[in-house]
Amino acid sequence: MKNKRQLLKDRLLNTMTFLSSGISVLVLSMVFIFVISRGYSTLNWKWFTNDYWSVNMYLGFQSSTQESYTKPTGLSSDVSFSSKYGFAVVDYVDEAKQNLIKIVYIDPKSPLLETTILTPGDTFGNAQSMKTNMTIQKFTYVDSSGISHSAGAIIKQNASQFIETLDTQSVSVTSAYTQTIGGGIRGSLIATLLLILVSLLIAMPIGIMSAIYLNEYAQYSKLTPWIRSSIELLTGVPSIIFGLMGMLVLYPITARLGANGTSVLLGAMTLSIVLLPTIIRSTEESLKTVPDHFRSASLSLGANMSQTIFKIVLPSAIPGIMTGVLLSIGRIIGESAALIYTMGTFVNDKPGLLSGGTSLAVQIWSVMGGEVPNFQLASAISIVILVIVLILNVSVKFLANKLRKTW
Amino acid sequence: MTTQAKFNQTKKYKNKLRQDAIFKMLFQASAILSSSMIFVIIAFILIKGLQPFMEAYQYGTRDFFSFLVGTVYRQDSGIYGVGFIIVNTLISGFGALVIAFPLSVLTALFIAKIAPKRVAQGMQTVVELLASIPSVVYGVFAAGSITILVKNLAALFAIKTAGGSSLLAVMLLLAIMIYPTITSLAITSIQAVPEDLEHASLALGATKTQTNFKIVLASAKSGIFAGAILGLGRAFGEATAVSMVAGNKLFGPTFNLFDITRTLTSTILTGLKETTGVDYDIRFSAGIVLMAVILISNLSINFVKNRIGHKS
Repeated sequence: MKNKRQLLKDRLLNTMTFLSSGISVLVLSMVFIFVISRGYSTLNWKWFTNDYWSVNMYLGFQSSTQESYTKPTGLSSDVSFSSKYGFAVVDYVDEAKQNLIKIVYIDPKSPLLETTILTPGDTFGNAQSMKTNMTIQKFTYVDSSGISHSAGAIIKQNASQFIETLDTQSVSVTSAYTQTIGGGIRGSLIATLLLILVSLLIAMPIGIMSAIYLNEYAQYSKLTPWIRSSIELLTGVPSIIFGLMGMLVLYPITARLGANGTSVLLGAMTLSIVLLPTIIRSTEESLKTVPDHFRSASLSLGANMSQTIFKIVLPSAIPGIMTGVLLSIGRIIGESAALIYTMGTFVNDKPGLLSGGTSLAVQIWSVMGGEVPNFQLASAISIVILVIVLILNVSVKFLANKLRKTW
Repeated sequence: MTTQAKFNQTKKYKNKLRQDAIFKMLFQASAILSSSMIFVIIAFILIKGLQPFMEAYQYGTRDFFSFLVGTVYRQDSGIYGVGFIIVNTLISGFGALVIAFPLSVLTALFIAKIAPKRVAQGMQTVVELLASIPSVVYGVFAAGSITILVKNLAALFAIKTAGGSSLLAVMLLLAIMIYPTITSLAITSIQAVPEDLEHASLALGATKTQTNFKIVLASAKSGIFAGAILGLGRAFGEATAVSMVAGNKLFGPTFNLFDITRTLTSTILTGLKETTGVDYDIRFSAGIVLMAVILISNLSINFVKNRIGHKS
């Protein structure tokens, strides 16, 4: 009787552990399902190379000589081709669910390539040819009786209606109102790559050298535990505090280097401090796995300490250092709070080292922070981040296995 | 050996030794630089954050005491009181811990002791994946799904929420985020429990489950608490994700689960446009408070842990 009750109790407790594990699986799949269902439709190759901001352009045609162009064979059947002006368009629905007309092909002799900017301002009159992947709001054309008309998405025409109007009714085209497609992540991708590169360039040498000192020189020094624990303390500091610190301590340095306000360099310098404990720990771990007789052999052959370190110890520790690098890249890609202050939240399509920009994670923060949060774009960027993080995780595991197998 | 050759040789050795000394200095300097960073951070933020309470402060001295216990935080009218924000931060952090801690410990037990090897490996991967998802992604997820869950839940009780942004949403979000931290530390400490203890328990007639819950968990206590401390630190310090679902309450503290709230981190993140003035400086003061909150809660959990340790 007692045994039976105990058995029942045991089974209940075991079921509880099983259920709580189930909850974690559920949460993980919910996160994945959420971002994929919201963001999947935005994902395509063009999106990676598009600018975030769409630029409006009001363009005038210089010549509207009509020739008869032939449709190139490579175009698919759902494309409408204008034989009068030599370009092809398709229907396109943008992020805001607006029906637009997108240029997919321009003949090399088309008048669309010889246009000038009509928007008043400094750039007025500059040559600016139309490009593929621009969307057409409207074309102004003149018909046979000399009257101007509009055609295009602005009067709710679709691509084939638009081309039909132009080809059948127009005598010449005078001006066009076009827009480049926005919502892309090219700028953030470049800024993220820059950020990874620069912060690793700063953090790697310092981190590896610190680890060498702690493991090779000062293993038995009384100061070492103190140094080690003050480095460890950094891991407990919330990333937003790093952001405050960067703004306060590192900003004057980047300002002296020529950065005006927040910059990618400032973000990278801040992150390099965030990364130090990770790099130091993983380097130290791998230095520990290098057997001592390697060092003794090198030293007894007449190499000095630094030769031993650079030629014997470090090459043997490379897998561990690589692990540190991969973990750091993961941290950089996911980091947002420390970067909001130091890199700024303005999505910059042309980021440079000394100008502001957003990493992918900060772009998510930026598009979520508006009046209407843009879940679609945020989820699409999340998918990119998750894929990168997944790949990094798998590689870290792979490296860890490799590290274990050697000697 | 000729004199010249000897001379060259000693010169070579000398160079080698000098090279060694230079490198040693370089390594030492890096180590000292790395370890001094934490002090740089603390010192600079302390100096900047305490400025508004100094007498010589150019934008008008603030009273430190009313800053620390104040119950209104309005940048527009220049009232800065973080007392209620501290309470809110503690509530949301400990609330998240209360949700996540039992789940974490049970999952860790499942992975380390109960599940078959294949399942355990799979679950371990799940926990690692959860840990590697960046906080901003959790923020998007929370803003798009947890808030809706909370909104519907509130509608059941006929309560209106601010689009689901609420204390409950913050707690659930933070619970998800600290769950992998606590779980992975708990797994490590459960695996480190010596087998002798288990064998002794089993030999005395306890069932496997009794052993797991009464012997293994008790012996792994110290590591599990370390995980809880780490998780709590993460919960208090989490910024971007939290501020996506917290709302920005101007007074408080918030005890109602369905009411909007404001944490220290979301306060630091709001109004980041300013680069001078009180609004700018006061964020460093909030940063000091945040670090103090994390430190004090760590110490108190440690204290609790030691008390429990003495009893058993």
